[in-house]
Amino acid sequence: MMFAPHLLELHNISKTFGTLTALRDLSFHIGPSEVVGLLGDNGAGKSTTVNLISGIHKPTSGHLSVDGRETLFTCRSDSADAGIETIYQNTALVDSLSITRNIFMGRERTNAFGFLKQAEMRDIAMEVLEKAVHISGIDSPDKLVGDLSGGQKQAVAIARAVFFKRRVLLLDEPTSALSVRETEALLAQVLKLKAEGVSSVLVTHNLYHAYQVCDRFVIMSHGTKVFDVNKADTSISQLTEYVVLT
Amino acid sequence: MTDVAVPKSRTKKQSLLKHIMTMPAGAILLVFAALQIACIAGALAFPDDFRYLSPQNLTILMKAIPVLGCLALGAGILMIAGEFDLSIGSVYTLTAVLMASLVDGGLSAFIAAPLGILLGVMIGLLNGTITLRFGLPSFIVTLGGLLFWRGAVLLYNGAIQVRFDPEPAFSSLFAGTLFGINAAFIWIILFVVSFYLLLHRHKFGNHVFATGGNPAAATAIGINTYRVKLIAFAIAGGMAAVAGIIATARVGSVQPGQGAGLELQAIAACVIGGLSLRGGRGSIIGIFLGVMLIHTITDVLLLLRAPGFYLDMFIATLIVIAAAFNHLIERRGAV
Repeated sequence: MMFAPHLLELHNISKTFGTLTALRDLSFHIGPSEVVGLLGDNGAGKSTTVNLISGIHKPTSGHLSVDGRETLFTCRSDSADAGIETIYQNTALVDSLSITRNIFMGRERTNAFGFLKQAEMRDIAMEVLEKAVHISGIDSPDKLVGDLSGGQKQAVAIARAVFFKRRVLLLDEPTSALSVRETEALLAQVLKLKAEGVSSVLVTHNLYHAYQVCDRFVIMSHGTKVFDVNKADTSISQLTEYVVLT
Repeated sequence: MTDVAVPKSRTKKQSLLKHIMTMPAGAILLVFAALQIACIAGALAFPDDFRYLSPQNLTILMKAIPVLGCLALGAGILMIAGEFDLSIGSVYTLTAVLMASLVDGGLSAFIAAPLGILLGVMIGLLNGTITLRFGLPSFIVTLGGLLFWRGAVLLYNGAIQVRFDPEPAFSSLFAGTLFGINAAFIWIILFVVSFYLLLHRHKFGNHVFATGGNPAAATAIGINTYRVKLIAFAIAGGMAAVAGIIATARVGSVQPGQGAGLELQAIAACVIGGLSLRGGRGSIIGIFLGVMLIHTITDVLLLLRAPGFYLDMFIATLIVIAAAFNHLIERRGAV
């Protein structure tokens, strides 16, 4: 484990937008089968970090490495190719399309002429929903995403990530729009995926949700990392202190 | 949140009716079917006064539907992608004038017609490029297009009618009959089937719905929404030209003002057919039913010898009712 390369690592990343320094010399890593809580108050630079890892922003200086190899994400598909899937607060789904079509959006199964293999996609969607993601109330992959609740939508987004064999899920404020029950289901899902070898990054300012599932916490403040600690070595009150006081 | 399905049942009692209503274009299908039944019943009851089923009337219907149909299919795919094209009526006239005058100058119609379609596609691409490159509302850009190309028709050819006298093979291809069915009507059926396959069965269609339904999500997932919209603009322009060819082949001449208002009728057909003005929702069958409904109502009013303004008032009412209905369904999250 000590010598195994990290799944994803950020090296001395800085990011400026004009005169604003959003990130300053930020370094942290994500290991295999690890759930990391990326914490910090509003404006700490969490969203910029998410956008950077998902390839939307390019760092002003510093670099990323995947499996120990130095790399640079210049667009979203670079990040996806590295096995990273970002699940946004307002999940990237189209309400007017079915679950199946959302899962395969942009990555449709087609024949040589580009026509959709609808039955095949539907069967896969059904299987993924049944086996990989358990969220109550989704009984058919033909359901429109617009008819689903916030938690169910996130489940579909996660199902999409699982099916496309992502290794790191980046969950940006995943619980902010969820009911209590849905939150529990989502956190259980994160742990289940971890057991299957999928790492997650929970980006949140809800320390209690993070504390429930994370193995390690990275606390950010004013665009840089101020604390990086394993769960065993800390307590929720210490985490709170760091988030509030730094 | 989890029991969103419950409020659905409040407005509808029969489950089959409910099922049809929640289908894409289900409501318009019901309206269309009801109207057809009423018309056929009326025609059977009063065969002499209400000649709905007479061969002449059916031929008129079959000839009228394809022109608006082509315009609406193009406008519809663009609307689902989240943009408008108000210039299609002017493009329809311009491309028809170009084709007719080229044929008048001695060019084969089989070359002039594709040139007309090419011009339509180019104008569509121009509309799209201006709209997308500068981030402008397509409504404004294509309103400019409407006026500009309307003026261009007069600049190019003056306010005079152009005769269209193609070789007989061309005429029979677009205005002849096959097994008693009007050729133009066969064309529109072919177009409806092709557009259905493109929009509902092809990868591109999925990207059109995604682009119109949630542009941010479509971009995030890696769909090139710029390209999708640009292609949709090109299709709208190209189909406007096709409509021009079909209309010109039928009439044998082009009037410089003939396309005025057609863009609004095409958008009306789309709205009646269940397309959302905000994009992302709709179906090809809905668009086609919208077109057929407009023409059936037009036809019925003509048969009843109602004055023309009734027609406008009728269509206007229909558009508003359809839009309100669609909005209701959208808010509920069905369809």
